[in-house]
Amino acid sequence: MALSMFLRAPVCTNQAFTKHIMRLATYTAATNSPLVVRAIPNTVQLKSVTAKAETMPITSSVRSFRTSAVRMSDEKPHDHAKLWVIEKATSALLVPLIPLGLLMPNKIIDSVLAILITAHSFWGLEAIAVDYVRASIFGSVIPKIAIGLVYLLSIATLGGLFYIISHDVGLANTVRQFWAVRSQGQNA
Amino acid sequence: MPLLRLTSGSFGQLRTFATSAALGKRIKTFAVYRWNPDEPDKKPYTQNYEVDLDDCAPMVLDALLKIKNEMDPTLTFRRSCREGVCGSCAMNIDGVNTLACISHIDKNTSKPSKIYPLPHMYVVKDLVPDLSNFYRQYQSIEPWLQREKDAVKGKETQLLQDVEDRAKLDGLYECVLCACCSTSCPSYWWNGDKYLGPAVLMQAYRWIIDSRDDATEKRLSKLKDTYSVYRCHTIMNCTRTCPKGLNPGRAIAQIKTLLSGIVKKPPAILDPAGLEKQAAQN
Repeated sequence: MALSMFLRAPVCTNQAFTKHIMRLATYTAATNSPLVVRAIPNTVQLKSVTAKAETMPITSSVRSFRTSAVRMSDEKPHDHAKLWVIEKATSALLVPLIPLGLLMPNKIIDSVLAILITAHSFWGLEAIAVDYVRASIFGSVIPKIAIGLVYLLSIATLGGLFYIISHDVGLANTVRQFWAVRSQGQNA
Repeated sequence: MPLLRLTSGSFGQLRTFATSAALGKRIKTFAVYRWNPDEPDKKPYTQNYEVDLDDCAPMVLDALLKIKNEMDPTLTFRRSCREGVCGSCAMNIDGVNTLACISHIDKNTSKPSKIYPLPHMYVVKDLVPDLSNFYRQYQSIEPWLQREKDAVKGKETQLLQDVEDRAKLDGLYECVLCACCSTSCPSYWWNGDKYLGPAVLMQAYRWIIDSRDDATEKRLSKLKDTYSVYRCHTIMNCTRTCPKGLNPGRAIAQIKTLLSGIVKKPPAILDPAGLEKQAAQN
């Protein structure tokens, strides 16, 4: 579980860059001049589109219009597909591991559980922060703080869980103790 | 002919009896969202209209048209086909996004029917939402057939597709882009600028899975970022609200499995360029 696995495309992206790209996209759409496009760097896609318009395939009339305005708003194309697989695998793995860990309390399963639970809740909390605390409403600073809090909370959770594992009775035994407390209370 | 006229006359009388005032008039109240851009100081409000259900056709759109024709010509909404194939009259009726033309008026006259524009969209006027972002997103997925080799004008040949491959498009191509599903999706409400939304993603899938389309890799690689697809948390509001009974939630799930690489797009059963190759041989 390298830290990079936790990293996604930052919530608050560089707005100046986005605006620049948007301006380019709309400008070339208005003028459709290949000369202007070639003069500006970072426009490989635009170039290929305008170059394509020079040849005359049957669908060129359809293809010549700009379609990338929406895509341009996402400035760093970040591959989320692998992370999605890891997220789903983690969720699936938790289903058998939690009962297994409770049945056979030992440090190895406890440690694996601690990491998986933390990762699982981290992705959930991060999704909440990204969905609800978004730059269009809260400005550029607060979303970063929210993500920071999610990281802080997750690190604290992981630290706490490993403290229980290394200095205390372990995760599974702690859960078992909760049940023991309840039954003692009923006996008394 | 006279006999026919006679019977139709008596049926007409029967109908008048059945719906006469003797049974008590069925007056339904419609609470309609109003906002006029020409009066920017005035906040949006709901206006009540009372419609006699016995003097009105059964669908909500009929009631709206009756209100516009007979009571208030300033009421503004989109409509066109009045039979659920154009997707113009999408609006929020009693809390559900649907097409006004194919949803029945609630016969319970004790409660007013609430009619609002599609939720979380900019309103142009009254029930007319601004769909430009939605259409721009639809443009961004390049919703047309893309072949590696473009056909030469004058030498086009028909592309082949097996019946089984064609069946994969059922449940996808019927979408009328009314935006009911996208505007029912909280993720689309919160991140509509970057998340494409169920309607557009289902169309993206429609072109990804088409056996005749060669741009599958390109289409998928455009969707793999954090926002375009992965803001979908599979709450299935889209499938639940779709007035055409389609399943955008399933289409998004299929995109996710294709993106993960666990599932690959199956090769075309019939070579789409089969006729072209045959023509080249002869």
